[in-house]
Amino acid sequence: MKKYLHIYKVTILDNIQYVSNIVLRILSFAIIIFVLFNLWKYMYSDQETINGYSKSQILWYVLITEGIWFGVRNKNFTNEISDSIKSGNIAYSINKPYNYVSYLIVKNLGDITIKSLVFVLVVSTIGTIFIGRLKFTILQIPFVLIALIFSALIFSIIDISISLISFWIEDAMPFHWVFDKLVLIFGTIIPIEMFPNSIKTIFSFFPTYPIMYGPAKIIIDFNFNIFCKIFLVQGIYLICTIIIMNLLYKEGVKKVNVNGG
Amino acid sequence: MAIIEVKSLSKEFKVKVKEKGIKGSIKSIFNPNYNIINAVNNISFSVQEGEIIAFIGPNGAGKSTTIKMLTGILYPSNGTISVMGINPSKQRKKLAYNIGTVFGQKEQLWMHLTPYDNFKFFGAIYDLNDNQIEKKIEEYSKVFDLGKFINTPVRNLSLGQRIRCEIVASLIHEPKILFLDEPTIGLDPVVKENIRELIKKMNKEYNTTIFLTSHDIGDIEKLCKRVIIINNGKIILDDTMRKLKYNYLNKKIIEVRTKRKVNLHGSEEYTILKNVDNCLKIEIDTTKSNVMDIIKQIDEDEIIDINISNIPLENIITEIYKK
Repeated sequence: MKKYLHIYKVTILDNIQYVSNIVLRILSFAIIIFVLFNLWKYMYSDQETINGYSKSQILWYVLITEGIWFGVRNKNFTNEISDSIKSGNIAYSINKPYNYVSYLIVKNLGDITIKSLVFVLVVSTIGTIFIGRLKFTILQIPFVLIALIFSALIFSIIDISISLISFWIEDAMPFHWVFDKLVLIFGTIIPIEMFPNSIKTIFSFFPTYPIMYGPAKIIIDFNFNIFCKIFLVQGIYLICTIIIMNLLYKEGVKKVNVNGG
Repeated sequence: MAIIEVKSLSKEFKVKVKEKGIKGSIKSIFNPNYNIINAVNNISFSVQEGEIIAFIGPNGAGKSTTIKMLTGILYPSNGTISVMGINPSKQRKKLAYNIGTVFGQKEQLWMHLTPYDNFKFFGAIYDLNDNQIEKKIEEYSKVFDLGKFINTPVRNLSLGQRIRCEIVASLIHEPKILFLDEPTIGLDPVVKENIRELIKKMNKEYNTTIFLTSHDIGDIEKLCKRVIIINNGKIILDDTMRKLKYNYLNKKIIEVRTKRKVNLHGSEEYTILKNVDNCLKIEIDTTKSNVMDIIKQIDEDEIIDINISNIPLENIITEIYKK
């Protein structure tokens, strides 16, 4: 465990070099939020609630899910994994005395820590100024933290697993693209409740539920029953994705082909 | 006692073959063709504890593939490997605690961190406690003379300094075996010499077994007592450096500068390599003739300068590669 903590610490140290990049991300985040806010404000122009969401709740929802998207998603890292598999450079990372997939998860968490913390501040500030204070008590914080950490873990594991597909195919990018778009549409900019009943059930099984919908719901509309339900889904997702990721790695690593030797 | 034992080891790679042009590319999607490449083909050898062994061969001979199988990176297609009694592909993690690897063309250090932070990181990876790590950093800092740049980010180091740090990072857990894959590639002669001295020192002081691949004959000549030559995936020579030199150094090169052009014709005993501008270069097979007999064939009054030398090891190895 100590070594993974050290990997986490060193990754954070390494990432301090890239703090200025976060400023640019905040800028693009602000533009997207501006567009989405206007879109939802227009939708609410002639009604108070839509499918149980008030205007301020939906704006907070979009703000939080976009914040998770910007804070947790680590495209550079997942591309790096795919590239290292394709080029064979993975060989130089797997010959160390650690569990390689655990190393990837911890490194990814280290990569996103500073970014995520910055986005927590950005989301809170934008939300408080442009939407108004959220009904939120200090007692909710531990539950929100658990949901957010689980969300980051599941997101990381799914993204890493998709990158591990590169052991079999030339390019995992199309899979990342499809996954990203599904997460964005079904649960990030539009909550699951907004969809027709027929597809609502299907999408409640989709990864968006534990990654985006769950943490956002706990923040904007907290009650203990909702937390338990989301926590259970996140737990099941975590176990399943860990098993899939390990299987992919275990089988894939036998296919390592090192270019140039 | 053999620290590395390799028996009938083979590694096959399946390589996709594409026909020319767009048509060929489309065809390869629906009906892919593969070539099977035997990168390593049924090789066996063993390495004793404390040995410095050169594992050499031309590009694509299979040496890096062998190292990668020995370190657990690649899975063998056939055969068995035992490194300190461990099967590398099945117990990669256990093996990692006992070996160190330096791949001259790949960096394992974190570029934005200082060597000191990197060593702390690698120490933690190998489960050393803080005191052990500090002790090791202090020790290696002196041996490898890292004092001046130990707190400079790796990205700002010269190649020579970086390679020194790469080696220290690989040694932090005191491995019994160090695999060096072209450790002196791209380095200037002074730094190369420096690195060689350090490798020798490491072997002497810590009895570390060194398994080295290099295209630099200087590395092999100055460091290794034994050499294994691999070509086309097969071992073509496994001998001590002394025997290699003894067997192949029966040929001598005589270079003579004369007042006038000397008229000598090649024979079974010697070969004229060059005879221009009053400079004569002859290769003699000393098993068939001796040096003095050849020199006597030249009028001694005509000789201005004479030089007798061995054939460079590089030429010997090139000759073996070609066989």
